[in-house]
Amino acid sequence: MGPLLVLAILTLLGNLCDGQRKALKESPSLSDRVQQLTDMSLKRAVIRLNADRFRQYVKAVPRNYSMIIQFTALSPMRSCSICRQAHDEFTVVANSWRYTPSFTDRIFFAMVDFDEGEEVFKQMGFNSAPIFMHFPEKGKPKKGDNMDIQRMGFQAEVFAKWIQERTDVSIRVFRPPNYSGTIALLILLTLTATLLYVRRNNLEFLYNRTSWGLLAVCIVFVMMSGQMWNHIRGPPFMQRTQRGISYIHGSSSAQLVMESYIIMSLYGCVVVGMILMNEAPLLPGGESKKKTFLAIGGLGMFICFFSFLLSVFRSKAHGYPYSLLFS
Amino acid sequence: MLDVNTKYMGVASLLRFCILIMAWIVGFSSRLFAVIRFESIIHEFDPWFNYRATHYMVEHGFYKFLNWFDERAWYPLGRIVGGTVYPGLMITSGLIHYLLSLLNIPIHIRDICVFLAPIFSGLTALATYFLTKELWDEAAGLFAACFIAIVPGYISRSVAGSYDNEGIAIFALMLTYYLWIKSVKNGGILWAMMTALSYFYMVSAWGGYVFIINLIPLHVFTLLLMNRFSQRIYVAYTTFFIMGLLFSMQIPFVGFQPIRSSEHMASIGVFGLLNAVAFLKYLQGYFSNREMKALIILSIFVLVIVGVVGLVLLTMAGYVAPWSGRFYSLWDTGYAKIHIPIIASVSEHQPTTWFSFFFDLHVLVAVFPVGLWYCIKYTNDERVFIVLYAVTAVYFAGVMVRLMLTLTPCVCVLAAIAFSHSFKLYLVEEETVIQANIASTPEKSSGGGGGGGSRKPKILKKREGTDAVDVPQVTSALGNNKRMLVIMALLMILMLFAIHCTWVTSNAYSSPSIVLASYSGDGSRVILDDFREAYYWLAQNTPDDARVMSWWDYGYQIAGMANRTTLVDNNTWNNSHIALVGKAMSSNESAAYEIMKELDVDYVLVIFGGVIGYSGDDINKFLWMVRIAGGEHPQDIRESDYFNAKGEFRVDTEGSPTLLNCLMYKLSYFRFGEMQLDRRSPAGYDRTRNAEIGNKDIRLEHLDEAYTTEHWLVRIYRVKKEANRPRVPYAQRVSKQKNVYVSKKTSWKKTGFIKDKVGEKK
Repeated sequence: MGPLLVLAILTLLGNLCDGQRKALKESPSLSDRVQQLTDMSLKRAVIRLNADRFRQYVKAVPRNYSMIIQFTALSPMRSCSICRQAHDEFTVVANSWRYTPSFTDRIFFAMVDFDEGEEVFKQMGFNSAPIFMHFPEKGKPKKGDNMDIQRMGFQAEVFAKWIQERTDVSIRVFRPPNYSGTIALLILLTLTATLLYVRRNNLEFLYNRTSWGLLAVCIVFVMMSGQMWNHIRGPPFMQRTQRGISYIHGSSSAQLVMESYIIMSLYGCVVVGMILMNEAPLLPGGESKKKTFLAIGGLGMFICFFSFLLSVFRSKAHGYPYSLLFS
Repeated sequence: MLDVNTKYMGVASLLRFCILIMAWIVGFSSRLFAVIRFESIIHEFDPWFNYRATHYMVEHGFYKFLNWFDERAWYPLGRIVGGTVYPGLMITSGLIHYLLSLLNIPIHIRDICVFLAPIFSGLTALATYFLTKELWDEAAGLFAACFIAIVPGYISRSVAGSYDNEGIAIFALMLTYYLWIKSVKNGGILWAMMTALSYFYMVSAWGGYVFIINLIPLHVFTLLLMNRFSQRIYVAYTTFFIMGLLFSMQIPFVGFQPIRSSEHMASIGVFGLLNAVAFLKYLQGYFSNREMKALIILSIFVLVIVGVVGLVLLTMAGYVAPWSGRFYSLWDTGYAKIHIPIIASVSEHQPTTWFSFFFDLHVLVAVFPVGLWYCIKYTNDERVFIVLYAVTAVYFAGVMVRLMLTLTPCVCVLAAIAFSHSFKLYLVEEETVIQANIASTPEKSSGGGGGGGSRKPKILKKREGTDAVDVPQVTSALGNNKRMLVIMALLMILMLFAIHCTWVTSNAYSSPSIVLASYSGDGSRVILDDFREAYYWLAQNTPDDARVMSWWDYGYQIAGMANRTTLVDNNTWNNSHIALVGKAMSSNESAAYEIMKELDVDYVLVIFGGVIGYSGDDINKFLWMVRIAGGEHPQDIRESDYFNAKGEFRVDTEGSPTLLNCLMYKLSYFRFGEMQLDRRSPAGYDRTRNAEIGNKDIRLEHLDEAYTTEHWLVRIYRVKKEANRPRVPYAQRVSKQKNVYVSKKTSWKKTGFIKDKVGEKK
C-alpha cells in the first residue's frame, strides 16, 4: 500500500512538472511577452484574449506588468446590453491610456469574451458578465481587485480612479469628442439660416410675442419642476413600494422623474387658469355667458390645481400644517 | 378717471407710504425669531468670519484692515484678509457704528452685525418697489415690496444674526437694476452714473456681481437684436460700462479680473458691438441703402472674426483666464461632481428639487410665469430686461440651490405683476368703467384704474420712442358677485402665502445652528449649548498660540469664538492643505501623528453627534474628508478602503477595518463603548447612525482626551509632545548585544567555559 501511494504521488508530481515545463517551454520569456503585449496594444488598445493567450499572458508567473481585464459577453446572441455600454467606456479608458505621452508597458488592457474563452470563465468561477479585474504585478488578485460595478458604476472616470487606486497609474480620461452634438447644432443653425433666408421678406414671425412667450414660460417650467436635478442625479422613473407603484417620492430631498412631470403639468394648469381668468374682463361687450365661464372656470382651475400642488407638497413635507381644498 | 385720481392723490400717496413702511416693519420683525427664541447671536459659519473681520476693522481702523495679514488662519500659511475679502459688508456695518457713535449712541458692533440683514431687507423692499414701478406700475410695486419682505427664499439668507454678504447684496442688486432701468428709460448720464455707483457697492459686497455684469450686456445685446437701438441705450450702457469697470477694479479682491477673466468678456464684447452699431447708424446718413447693406454685412463679418480670434489668442497667451471651477460647473453640470470634490461637498452647490422651489416661494412660483407671459406680451425696452432676468435666474437656481437667492427678487416682481394685473381687472367698479370709457376715448390712456393713474401721462410721453404695447384696460366689468368671488379667492391664497412664509421662517430658517434646541416629551425646551461651551473652554484653558486642527467647517467658529489658530477654515482657498487635514483624519493614529507633528498641531477638535442624535457631525461628513484627501494623496487614502465588502459605510462591527481604526473614528468614539445611553440599547449605541459601534476598546497612543462637552457634541484632544526618550513597545524591543552569555551547563555537553575567552575551535 505504502510504496504504491508514493509511486502514485511521484507520477502525479512528474506529470505536473512535465506540464509546467511544457508551459514554460511554450510561453516566451518575460521580455518577449512584454514586447508582444506592447505590440498588440499598439495595434488595438484593448487586447482580445482567448483561453490560451489568457494562460500565456495573465497566468504566467514572472510578470512585471499589471493587467486590467474585462470579462464580457459581447456577441449579440447573449443580449447583454450593459456589456456593450461597459465595453465602450472601458475602450475609452484604454484608448486614453494608449495615447498618453506617459504610456508605458506597466499596465495592459485586455478582454476575454465568453464565446472565445469559456474555459477562462469556468476557471475563474464567473457566471455573470461584465466583470472587471485587475491582475497585479505580483501575487494573486486580492479583494479590491475585482471592481464592483454595481456600486461604482462603469463610467470611464470611475475606471480611471479605480485603476489609479490599484496600480498608482493615473490616467486622464480623454473622450473622443462627440461630434453628434456639434453636427446637430450645425444642422439646426443651417435650418434656421435657410428659414430666415427663405422668409427674408417677411420677418414678422420673429416678432411674434406668443411663440417667444411660450418658449420662455416653457424654460421656466422645465427648471421649476426640477428637470435639472433629474439630469444631474438620474433618479428612477417611478418607485415600487409595499403599497404598489408610487409616483411621488416620500422625502423632501429627492424626487422621481414622473413626479417632476406631474408637477410641471400642475404648474402649467395653474398658469393657464390664471391667464384665462384675466382674459374675462377684457372681452368686449356686456355680461355674457362666455365671460362668466372664463372668469369662474379660470379661477376654478387656478384654485383647484394650486391646492392639488399644495397637497403633493404636503405629502412630502412631513408636519406641514396648511392645505387648501384637498388635504 | 383723471379727476377721480387727483381727488384721491393725497390719500393714495399716504397709503403707499404706509404700505411700504409696514412691509419694512413686517419684514424686519419676521426675521427676529432667532433673536427672540435664543439671543442676539451671530449664526452659522461664514458670519463668524465676517463678524471677526468687522470687529477688527472697528478696532484697528480701515487701512489696518485692508492690510490685515491673519496669521491665525491657515497655519502655517496665514491669509491676507484685506486682499481676499469683499469688504462692503464690513464697511457698511462699520459706517453705521461710526455714525451712531458720532450721535453718542453707544452700541456694540455685534448688535449692528446681528440686525444688519433685517434692516437691509426693508431697503430691498423699497428698491424692489421702485424697480417694479418702473417696469409695470405702482400697484404692482407695492405687491412686490410686500412679497420680497416676507418671502422665505430671501429670509433664508437674511434672518437676524445671519451676517453674510448676501444680506446686503440683494439690496445692491435690486438697486442697480432699478437704476439701470431708469437710465435705459430716460438715457441720462446721471442715472447711468448712479447705476455704476450702485454696481460698485455690489462689487464690494458679493461675488454675485458677475450676474449683473453679464445680465446688463445681455439686455443690451437682446435690444440690439430686436432692432431697438436708441441713443438712450447707447448713453446708458457706455457710461455704465466704463465707470463700472473702473469702479470694480478698485476692490483689491477683484483687481484686474474685470479685464482678464472670461466672466467679464461678454460686457467688453457688447461694448464694442454697441459702438460699432452706433457708428454704422451714424454712417447711414452718408451712404445709399445698397452701400449700407454691404457695409453692414462686411462689418458683422469682420467683427465676429476679430472678436473670436482675439479672444482665443488672448486666452492662449494667458492674458484672459478661462472659466473658474465654480462657474464652469454652472454650465457643465456634471463637471464639479467628478473634478472638484470640495465644490461638490458643499450642500449649497447641489441642484434644486421642485420641492425647494415651492418651499421657498410658495404661490409666487406658480404665478410668476403669468407675469412673465404678460411682460413678453406687452413688451418694451425695460420689460425685456425682467424677462431675461427671469429666464437666466431660473436656470441658475435650478443648477444650484444657493442661487435661489438671485431668482427670488425676480419671482416677486413678476408674481406681483400677475397679481396686480388680476386685481386691477377685477376691482374696477362698473360705473368707473363707463366713466373711464367716456373720459379716455380721446386720450387713449394706458392702464386701468387703481392707485397710480396720476403719473401715467408723464410716463407715456417718455415712452414714445420705445413703442410699448399698452396693457389693455377693462372694457366692461363683470357682475359684482363674480368679481367678489374672484377677489376673495385671490386674497385667500395670498393669506395662505403669508402664513406659509411665517411657518417656514419660524421652522426652517431661524436656527442659529451654534445653539441647538430640542423639545422633551412634556414640551419643555432643552438648549444644547455645547459648541460655545467647547470654544469657551479652548479660550480659557489653552495657550494663546495653540493650534487647533478640525475639519474646515469649524475653522471660522474656532477663530471667532475661541480666538485660536486654525489650520483650515471655510475660506477653502487651498485644497491641498484641506486634503492634508483630511488625510490626517482618515489615516491611522501613528500616521496621523506624523502629519500632526509636521503641522504643529496642539489640539484636535471633532464634532460627535452620537449621544444626542445630531446628524451634522464629523462621522457623517467623513466620506467627504476621505474623498478630498484621496484626490490629493491617492496612494495613501483610497475611498474603497472605507467601505466594507458589501460596499456599505458602517460604523458597527461590519464596518471596514480601515474605518474602525482611523483617527476620526477613534476620536469620535473614544470611551463611547463604556457608555450606556438608556436601558433598551447596548453600551456604545450610536443614536445618529442607529448602530452599536464596532470598536469599543479604543486606546489612544499619541493623543489625550482634553475636554468633552456636556452632550458629547464637541470633543477636544490634546496632541502629546514627543517623549524625551522614545518608548518602544515590549514586543518590538530587540537586544542589540551580540554575545549574550548563556550558561551552557544545562546543555547536553555539560562542559563549561570561561566568559570572553576564545574557546576551542571545532
